[in-house]
Amino acid sequence: MSGSWGDSMIETALTLLRFLLGLGGVFLLGYACFALLVPNPREFRVLESLCLSFGIGAVGLTLWMLFLSWWGLAFSLILSLAPPLAAAFLALAVKKLVRKRSGRPESYLPAAPPPPPVPFRVWDWVFIGLLAALFLFAYFRAVIYPIWAWDAIATWGCKAKLFYQSRAMDLTCIEAHNYYPNLVPLLLSYLYFCLGEVNDHLAQGLFPLWGALLLGMLYSFLRRMGLNRTQALGITAFFALNGTVFISHLFIAYADLPLAYFALAAVGLVYLWLLDAAPLGALALAAPFFAGLAWCKYEGPPLAGTILLAAFLSLVWLRPPDWKTRFLKLGIPVLGLAAGFLPWRLFAAFSHLEMGADHVRNLYPHQFLESIPYLLRALIDPFFFGLLWPAAALALLFSGRGLWRSPRLFPALFVGGNLLAVLVAYAVAPTSAAEFDMYVRATIDRLLLHITPVVALLVGEGMKEVREVDHKTV
Amino acid sequence: MKLTNNWRGWLLWLISGLWFLQLIWLAWYYAPDVQDMAWRVASRRTGPAIRQEDPFYLWTLTLAAVIPPRDTYIFLDNYEAGKEIEARYHLIPRKHVLLPPAAPPSFLFHALRQEKASYLVIREGDKAWSSADAAAESAAFLLLPVPGQGLVFQVDYERLLGRFYD
Repeated sequence: MSGSWGDSMIETALTLLRFLLGLGGVFLLGYACFALLVPNPREFRVLESLCLSFGIGAVGLTLWMLFLSWWGLAFSLILSLAPPLAAAFLALAVKKLVRKRSGRPESYLPAAPPPPPVPFRVWDWVFIGLLAALFLFAYFRAVIYPIWAWDAIATWGCKAKLFYQSRAMDLTCIEAHNYYPNLVPLLLSYLYFCLGEVNDHLAQGLFPLWGALLLGMLYSFLRRMGLNRTQALGITAFFALNGTVFISHLFIAYADLPLAYFALAAVGLVYLWLLDAAPLGALALAAPFFAGLAWCKYEGPPLAGTILLAAFLSLVWLRPPDWKTRFLKLGIPVLGLAAGFLPWRLFAAFSHLEMGADHVRNLYPHQFLESIPYLLRALIDPFFFGLLWPAAALALLFSGRGLWRSPRLFPALFVGGNLLAVLVAYAVAPTSAAEFDMYVRATIDRLLLHITPVVALLVGEGMKEVREVDHKTV
Repeated sequence: MKLTNNWRGWLLWLISGLWFLQLIWLAWYYAPDVQDMAWRVASRRTGPAIRQEDPFYLWTLTLAAVIPPRDTYIFLDNYEAGKEIEARYHLIPRKHVLLPPAAPPSFLFHALRQEKASYLVIREGDKAWSSADAAAESAAFLLLPVPGQGLVFQVDYERLLGRFYD
């Protein structure tokens, strides 16, 4: 009895190790690409590098798997991971060599001196404790139960299982949603290859990790925006523990959380670049996240489009001295978007997959108007996002006229544009009058989740206003 | 510190207070989940063991034993029930085609022929569906003795004319 229990424990530990090594492979690939994209990786904090690397690795790995399928090569762990990893490290070695020859090795690049260590305050520990409790709950909630939520069973998990079993992107036995982008299913199937089986409860552990990386990134962006550690931790905890939508997405294996992660990275990096608070190479670094948006979910390309449009309008409105050069530089994320959008579209076209005809067929203006109360209710209902959206509205109010004279206009335009886009999405949704209520209720929280981390950045800006007023008053 | 200058600070404290209440509500909201998780960990009923508690999952296992992996089956069920997506998930890589149980027999026969489906699965076999009755009366269908809640027919689709109006 004790022997079989011991064997079972060893088996569990080995399975967990395989899972962690699989995730480690994604981080490693992502870090190699990250170090390739930025001139000086040392400008980034460890937490920042980790959070950004995973997304880049996930995009690179899954796009590579798409190409494997295109070339008719069967998926395997070695074939999925080794070639992109080898190519990335080879390119990194070449970059280092070129830099050395040109007399500009990375170690000699000017980097900001490390700030003196600040002792943790009581509130820091309170916020860290709250986040730790959340992730302890979310991790166990994810891995104890097998995949169970609707879209996880119907789409993402279903495809992942199929890709693993068929060792290819075989969509012949799926009729519904087979045109959806495949970053999440391919990443899950890669984890199944690491585990050597379809272990859908352990693979769900990917999602709390993705949530943690999103929060790590949010914290890092808030720090770069000028908030101190306590404030940044406070806003991060305020975002994570407000309402149920973010928390439930930590354990239901939907693609909406990864999409929110990619959206935050893309918006955050462009925003820091507009603020002149970004490290060197921020736009090049943003490019894979634009690719991730397009490759993660059907709503990704419109989200990426609104980011670019908001950045363009902000530049035109604010007219910084070098606005024309900056405008041209926005071409870099556009290239990223194309890199994430085109391969799957071409693959689908060559495979004769019908693309999304069930989403957009006509315009129903009455649905646009009908969806407005739903949207307003979702923004203020504490069940969805707690106090986050009202707090963001107050933060914008604090900005006053300063909003129109600062790059803060960019996230505000992005959020406003996307709220409008949500209404437009409902106006083109081909649902019957009887189903409309159910359709909106089933989707509104997810559509808002995609942009809510960016709303937390606006709350952070509001926090800066409060602090500045406090300093002036004192 | 003047109150007039510091109203934003007071607002911050107000939001913080409301957030604290929100934290208490979240703890209350997720408490049943935590209780269930603790019970499952303590009784070692986690992961695949949870699926074993579901009679529908056990039924899909018997279907998997009957339907060969490369075959196609038509699943007669309402999408809204959420059970056909579970069946599809568990029966992959078998090709799955969903039809509503109220579909007329002519359309069902047409679909079986078109999709070259060798099996017909009716989840709610205890209900009166015209398609189920037609299948039971046709010589092209063989009712299989699969234990569980639904009906499973083996179909010789080549014997069906498959014309929409037949």
